Amino acid sequence: MTHYVIIGDGISGSSAAETLREKDPEAKITVITDEGEPLYNRILIKEHAKGKLPEAPISIHDEGWYEERDIDLSLNTHVTSVDTDARIVHTHEGDELEYDKLLVATGGTPTQLPVDNSDADGIHHFWTFQDARAIREHADQADKGVIVGAGLLGIDFAAVCGAQGIEADYLMRGDRWWRYALSADGAEIMHEGMRDVGVEPVFDSGVDRFETDDDGHVTAAVDPNGERYDCDFAGVAIGLTFNTEYLQGAGLEEDNGIVVDEYMQTNVDDVYAAGDITRFYDVLLGEQAQNGSWGSAKEQGRIAAVNMAADEEAEAFEWVSSYSITHFDFPFLSFGHPTLGDEHAERKYSDTEWRRIAFKDGKIVGGVLIGDLSPQSKFKQLMREQREVADQAEVLLEQEVDLDELAAPQEQ
Amino acid sequence: MASSELPSSEHASRPLRLECVESIPAGTTTRHVDQLDTETLDTFYAALDGDRSLLEADTDLEIGEVIVFTEYYRVDHV
Ligand SMILES: Cc1cc2nc3c(=O)[nH]c(=O)nc-3n(C[C@H](O)[C@H](O)[C@H](O)COP(=O)(O)OP(=O)(O)OC[C@H]3O[C@@H](n4cnc5c(N)ncnc54)[C@H](O)[C@@H]3O)c2cc1C
Repeated sequence: MTHYVIIGDGISGSSAAETLREKDPEAKITVITDEGEPLYNRILIKEHAKGKLPEAPISIHDEGWYEERDIDLSLNTHVTSVDTDARIVHTHEGDELEYDKLLVATGGTPTQLPVDNSDADGIHHFWTFQDARAIREHADQADKGVIVGAGLLGIDFAAVCGAQGIEADYLMRGDRWWRYALSADGAEIMHEGMRDVGVEPVFDSGVDRFETDDDGHVTAAVDPNGERYDCDFAGVAIGLTFNTEYLQGAGLEEDNGIVVDEYMQTNVDDVYAAGDITRFYDVLLGEQAQNGSWGSAKEQGRIAAVNMAADEEAEAFEWVSSYSITHFDFPFLSFGHPTLGDEHAERKYSDTEWRRIAFKDGKIVGGVLIGDLSPQSKFKQLMREQREVADQAEVLLEQEVDLDELAAPQEQ
Repeated sequence: MASSELPSSEHASRPLRLECVESIPAGTTTRHVDQLDTETLDTFYAALDGDRSLLEADTDLEIGEVIVFTEYYRVDHV
């Protein structure tokens, strides 16, 4: 009987466990997580932190879910090392688990700012349900906030401050929010959204150090220009550090993440990886890529499991991811790899509508839609078909996108 | 004919509506919009714009669940 061991019970690990049980009813399956609760909805914890959503709807699996599927679940168990020659997983309690096939699905941990007092009381990072509970409780009592990290996770802190009535300064490096994917026009719409909820974007800033009171609670952030921003609440979201420490010596190829092919196989036999932690071969892009989104992590878990159970390269990962921001009156959707590409086309349609498409070698590789999200499925379809359309950007920038107006694809 | 007597194909194409709700009671299935598949997402956006009616058969939405978008939307039969 094959023993599958999955490290991590986020959406990638959990979706792999579910698929493995479907594909291999007789197998032994073990899921190990260092969190104290089974899979929950990580993309809804921000709604809890905002004070809007109660805890119950955020849970996805209870322990019974694993029992019903005869899956062994180890909560509060930290994997400390993996011996890939002996095929043994070691845990912090000294337990050893032998595996036949292993899935690494351990995601990342928010990176701390390398500045003085960055671990002071009142400074929050946001990844787990426990983080969300602490943020909610503190935000409810806080008055003045500082946010650092001008990306997709930083903006969740802005939304928390807005919803919890915290007046906040959002300190950004550079002249706009998410400068790698948005031009000034697109970013300005987001800045207005922040201002509308009481969060002021501050440009060409950042944090040089935090100041604290005698009890070690944050009182201010000082930026590199020497400007001081009072705060009793701070949110830091400057990126993720992948949880690979326990894999030292395991022989897995790493490149800021675990390198896998399109079948989620690492370079070590019978070791697979899935979810945020992977640097995977993106068949649509034609190169290695990374992705931090729920849908992509879930699909990678499923694909890894299909190939683990089949014991061959049965199905490749082919996926266009998307990531929404739903905090403001207008919606925002980023799809594919909006920060990549060698060419871009964009248009502003109104004070709350904007679109940008990124092309590589003439093909769409990603984009950002603000306000009107309706063209998303058409752009994703063109990505899946790998159509060369950069020279017809005008059609793609029409308010109503009609794919029939595109010239017929050339025979390859 | 009572709705329970409808042939299953007619059941499946019953129109749905999205009702904006302020709060979510415990026990309500709740999904973020990023959990919807591309086709469901498309119909969801169109239904919000009033462009298209939402048919049960075209989506993976479930009656009673709440979708978190710029508002919280409860899925119901029309
Ligand atoms: C606040 C927030 C908002 C987000 N919003 C969105 C959104 O709107 N849309 C979207 O698509 N995505 C969003 N994301 C991203 C999305 O949640 C992730 O891409 C996805 O959950 C990644 O899943 P995963 O299974 O790869 O990793 P994770 O969910 O991080 O799971 C990894 C698990 O492994 C455990 N682990 C780590 N190391 C060990 C070890 N040594 N031993 C045992 N267990 C270990 C961790 O504790 C964790 O439980 C958001 C993320 C956050 C934090």
